Amino acid sequence: MAMKKFINKPEDLVGELLEGYALAYADKIRLAGNRLVVRARRKAKGKVGVVTLGGSGHEPALSGFVGKGMLDISVPGEIFAAPGPPRCLEALKRAERGAGVLFIVLNHAGDVMAANLTMEMALKQGLNVKQILTHEDIAGGPRSKPENRRGLVGAVPVMKVAGAAAEAGYSLDACLAVAERLERQMATLAVAMTSATHPSTGQAIFTLPDDEMEIGMGQHGEAGTGRMKMKSADETAEAMLGQLLADLSVQAGEQLLVLLNGAGATTLMELFIVFRRMHQVCEARGIKIARARIAEFLTVQEMAGFQMFIARMDEELLKLWDAPCDTPYLVVR
Amino acid sequence: MADSVGFDDLATMLRAAAAKVVSEHATLSRLDSATGDGDHGTTMRRAMMVGLRAMDTCTSRDLAALLNDVGWAILGVDGGATGPLLGTFFIGMSEAAGGRQMLDAPALAEVFEGAVAAVRRQTKAQVGDKTMIDALVPAVEALRAAAKAGEGPRAALAKAAEAAARGAASTKDLRAKFGRARNLGDRSIGSPDPGATSVSLLFRGFADAIAAR
Repeated sequence: MAMKKFINKPEDLVGELLEGYALAYADKIRLAGNRLVVRARRKAKGKVGVVTLGGSGHEPALSGFVGKGMLDISVPGEIFAAPGPPRCLEALKRAERGAGVLFIVLNHAGDVMAANLTMEMALKQGLNVKQILTHEDIAGGPRSKPENRRGLVGAVPVMKVAGAAAEAGYSLDACLAVAERLERQMATLAVAMTSATHPSTGQAIFTLPDDEMEIGMGQHGEAGTGRMKMKSADETAEAMLGQLLADLSVQAGEQLLVLLNGAGATTLMELFIVFRRMHQVCEARGIKIARARIAEFLTVQEMAGFQMFIARMDEELLKLWDAPCDTPYLVVR
Repeated sequence: MADSVGFDDLATMLRAAAAKVVSEHATLSRLDSATGDGDHGTTMRRAMMVGLRAMDTCTSRDLAALLNDVGWAILGVDGGATGPLLGTFFIGMSEAAGGRQMLDAPALAEVFEGAVAAVRRQTKAQVGDKTMIDALVPAVEALRAAAKAGEGPRAALAKAAEAAARGAASTKDLRAKFGRARNLGDRSIGSPDPGATSVSLLFRGFADAIAAR
C-alpha cells in the first residue's frame, strides 16, 4: 500500500517539521545554529546546561521538551537516526553557562556512537560535560546487562528531573547523581500491535499479523520477545506491569511515577482503560502511584501500542518531578 | 608509478566506491528493512553525497587531507551509527596515511588497517556478529596477505573486494548481536547485513577503479 502521510518531499521532512514546530512555539523555543532546538530565552548564567540528541520521527520527543525546567538544547537527527557528532558538540558549547553541561543519551547504537565521539571531542576541547545513558527497556535483557537495554520514554522523566535540578542550582555532579538515581530506579516495557511507516522510505518498519501484538517492541520496530495473540486491556496491563514491578522489585509501601506513553495510533481511551487496571493492581499490592501522566511523549509515527513506564520515587525525585517547567509538550506550574 | 596508489588514483577509488553505493542504495534499504528500519540505503547515499562534496571542495593534493575531509564530512551526517562508523573509517585511513603520497600494496594495507582500527574504537562487534566488521576485517586481511605475497595494489584490492563480498554474503546465516537487528534474535537470520553489504560495495568500487586504470 502506498504511504499515506501529509508530507511534501521526504528529503525535506525533518527541516520542515522543525520549521513548523519553531513557528508554533516561538514563545518557548527557536531554531539556532545547525538545526539545534534551543530555549527561546537562555538559562541564567551559573546553571548547568541540559542537552540531548536523538532521531526525528518520534515527536514530540525529544525537542518537545526543550524549555525552562527541562532541556536547554535538543539535537534532532534524521528520521529514526541520530545526528552527527559535530552538531552535538555545537549544542554542548552553546549550552555551557559556566556550570557545565549534562548530556542525556538514549541507549541506541547510533546515538551512543555519536555521543561517545562527541564526548571525546568535548573533553579534548576542555568542555565540562558529563554524560548519562538511559537504558530502561526491560525487554532488552536482564538488569545486570544494562548495555542491552534500550532507552525508551524514560529519557523524558530523566530530562525533567535533571532539568529541575539544574534550575534549582544543583552542580553538574549533583544533577548527574540525581538523574542517575532516577535512571537506576526506572523500567519501561513497550507493546505494539500495528506497524508504522518509515516516512522517508514509505515502507513499514515491521510486520505483525492482524490478530497479534508484541510485548517488548522497541521504538524503531526492533523486535521484542513476546509475540502473542491480542489480549484485552486488563490482561495486557497485568502482564506488562507484573514484569516491570518484578524487574524493579517494587515492594508494598513504595511510591511510583507512572507514564503511559501512546506510540502514535493508540487512543487515550485505551490508555485510560489500561491505566485503570494498573492502578487496581498496584492498590491490591499496597503500592502507591504517586504521580501519573498519560500522553504521547515519544511516538513511533502511526504505530499502535504504548510504552508503560514506572519509576520508584523518593522525596527528592518527586520534588524535582513536581518543579515548574514550561516546554511545548510538558508544562508544570 | 604503476604499482602505487597516488592522489588521483585514490580520488578515483573514492568516487567509484561512492558511485557503487549510490547505484545500489535501493538494494541496501531493502536489505535493511529485513532487520532494521529500512533506511540504510538512503543514509548511505546521503553519506556518499557529502563525501563527494567534500572531495570537490578539498583544495589540498595530500592523501591524508583528502581522506580526512571525506571522513569528517561523513561523520557529520545525521544517520545514526553510519556517520560515526563510516566517518571514522576514512579518518582512520587518513591518520594511517600520514604524510605518504604514494601507497604501494603494503602501505595500502596499512592505511586500510588504520580504518579497521578506527572502526573498532566505535564498536565492540567482532567477526560473526553480523555487522560491517564481517566484510571489513576479511577484506583488509586479504589485502594484507596479497601485499605480503608481493602482489601490487590492483591484485590486492581485487582480493580484498572478493573477501568483502564473501564476508557480506556470510552474514546471511548469522544471528545479529549488535545494533537494532540484535533485538530480532533468530529472526535476524536469513538476510545479509546491510552494513556489511555496504562495505563490500565500497571495496568493489575501490578495486574496479584501480583495475580500470
